[in-house]
Amino acid sequence: MDIFSGLMLGLSTATTLSNFAYCFVGVLLGTAVGVLPGVGPIATISMLLPFTFGLPVDTAMIMLAGIFYGSQYGGSTTAILMNLPGEASSVVTTLDGHEMAKQGKAGRALAAAAIGSFFAGSVGTLFIVIAAPLLASLALTFGPAEYFSLIVLGLITSMVLTSGSLLTAFGMALFGILLGMIGTDINSGAARYTFGSPNLLDGLDFVVVATGIFGLGDVLANLENESNRMAGVARVSSLFPTREDWKRMVMPILRGTGIGVLLGVLPGAGVLLASFSAYALEKKVSRHPEEFGKGAIEGVAAPEAANNAAAQTCFIPMLTLGLPGTATMALMIGALVVQGVQPGPEILSQQPALFWGLIVSMWIGNLMLLFLNLPLVGIWAKLISVPYHFLFPMICVFTTIGVYSISNSVFDVYMMALFGALGYFFKKVGAEPAPLVLALILGPMAEEYLRRALLISQGDASVFFTSPLSLGTLIVAGLLLLSIISPRFRKVREEGLQEVD
Amino acid sequence: MKLSQDAILGTFFTTVGVVFGLIALNYPFGTAGRMGPGYFPVIVSTLLAVTGIAILMRARLATGEPVRAARWLPLVVVPLAVILFGLLVEKLGMPLAVMMLVVIAATASVKFKLNWMATAGAATFSAVCAIVFVELLGLPIPIIGTWLHAIGHF
Repeated sequence: MDIFSGLMLGLSTATTLSNFAYCFVGVLLGTAVGVLPGVGPIATISMLLPFTFGLPVDTAMIMLAGIFYGSQYGGSTTAILMNLPGEASSVVTTLDGHEMAKQGKAGRALAAAAIGSFFAGSVGTLFIVIAAPLLASLALTFGPAEYFSLIVLGLITSMVLTSGSLLTAFGMALFGILLGMIGTDINSGAARYTFGSPNLLDGLDFVVVATGIFGLGDVLANLENESNRMAGVARVSSLFPTREDWKRMVMPILRGTGIGVLLGVLPGAGVLLASFSAYALEKKVSRHPEEFGKGAIEGVAAPEAANNAAAQTCFIPMLTLGLPGTATMALMIGALVVQGVQPGPEILSQQPALFWGLIVSMWIGNLMLLFLNLPLVGIWAKLISVPYHFLFPMICVFTTIGVYSISNSVFDVYMMALFGALGYFFKKVGAEPAPLVLALILGPMAEEYLRRALLISQGDASVFFTSPLSLGTLIVAGLLLLSIISPRFRKVREEGLQEVD
Repeated sequence: MKLSQDAILGTFFTTVGVVFGLIALNYPFGTAGRMGPGYFPVIVSTLLAVTGIAILMRARLATGEPVRAARWLPLVVVPLAVILFGLLVEKLGMPLAVMMLVVIAATASVKFKLNWMATAGAATFSAVCAIVFVELLGLPIPIIGTWLHAIGHF
């Protein structure tokens, strides 16, 4: 199917009344939950997951994608108005965005973020249209060795981009892989680490673990510092950027979009890297680098554009290879699997309506965000100011119901409580959970591809170095690891990531 | 004695690595060309145990960040509320279980006060939850649990 007829199919799928309506509801709910301080995109998606269960698969996916970028946008709103980043990638937005808000320019900062995001989202979507079919047809030639190397690259990228020490991140990834081993081994049928419990035979549900660590774990961590959580919400004034603002943000948005589109495809923490790089680049090329950190509109527009472009293009490896680049994408795969869809190169030929409908709805969703969020910003500001002691019991309820409803299993609820406590433990000892969560999904895949690759080569490990693509991927992974040992890059990484904590 | 973050994390990783590795030794190992179910887990747990030991060594060499004292109350109350919800949701039904989860979890906050406003709010929230999730979204969670049914039969 060529791109044009694909887009036509997508347009007819995405614009059916119900799909359009659910896209709208998804964007609205995603933003509403995403603006709540202390609720990141992962917690948002898992809390809203039950809303997609009764729907047909394409509608559910469209709504989920709407929730995803709604929550991203909501996170930026909170970052600007309250100086509380919901996730690592909106940390950069707080630097200049909240500074602008303090100077009474909150509305203009929000507008810059919205316009930048919309433009970047449109370009990102267009990029998916062109790149995804190419990658999917390329992916059909990938053997197990190529897949294994790509997974290794993804895991290493996520470790390198995690704040804190590399050794800790490495341990977290390994622990995640081991947790992924729980359940029935597909090849031999042996039950591993199930301790005789029939509930564990299907393995740990990814959504349950992610919700526990990011949803409940964050609640526990926030409750600890409850008394010093009080922060003022900035007032929103004029929403219209001035001529001067426009002139200053056009180029940053273009550059941010370019960076985001390319980095989003990279397996690993693409979104985070994109917003940091875009900010750093703007600071470098700006004629007034001293204004950064003091409310420069470029420092809001560029990372927001990069962030949203990457959020679109990180769907590419997820949809076409079945490999999630970020923890959020891993959750999307978990949601797809709940719906009975296995993402991978075949999704284009087997579920064309789903694939193209999703892409078109992404663009529609971005358009909705632009027209929804700026007029509704007053409501979001009200939502942000809901005190945490009213908020967190509700978060507990929504996460619990969300997890329970995946398979109507109270066992999953207990597991979520356990992983909530574990998530809190990781926060306490300074270990970032993102590599663990990614490894939980990638680990079993890595084992499976390693097995197949070595089965074909009869135990000869050189297959990973004889295929050019696999070799290239491993070299990139090796360079990444080396770069972190080099003192110069290390300094950059520490500076870039220290703000995350 | 103040434990550093690294000391705790290193011990955790080492323990998990050793335990998972020992269990994995019971699974058929196989060869590289024909891996058994034990092959990959043994390698990964060994690596984890080694990583844990390396983190422990780092903890001894450098003075890492000490772990700050925890507020225990939320850590016990919130997971407990969630577990109670799991235990009772099918027995009490959705609205009562939600009400219970909200009230118990809320006690973890330093700002918790029992008053009529908050109770009424929690009750309204539970009712709304039941309507949205069960009636609107059709989740198969009973509104009235099995225990209440039993009482109704008397």
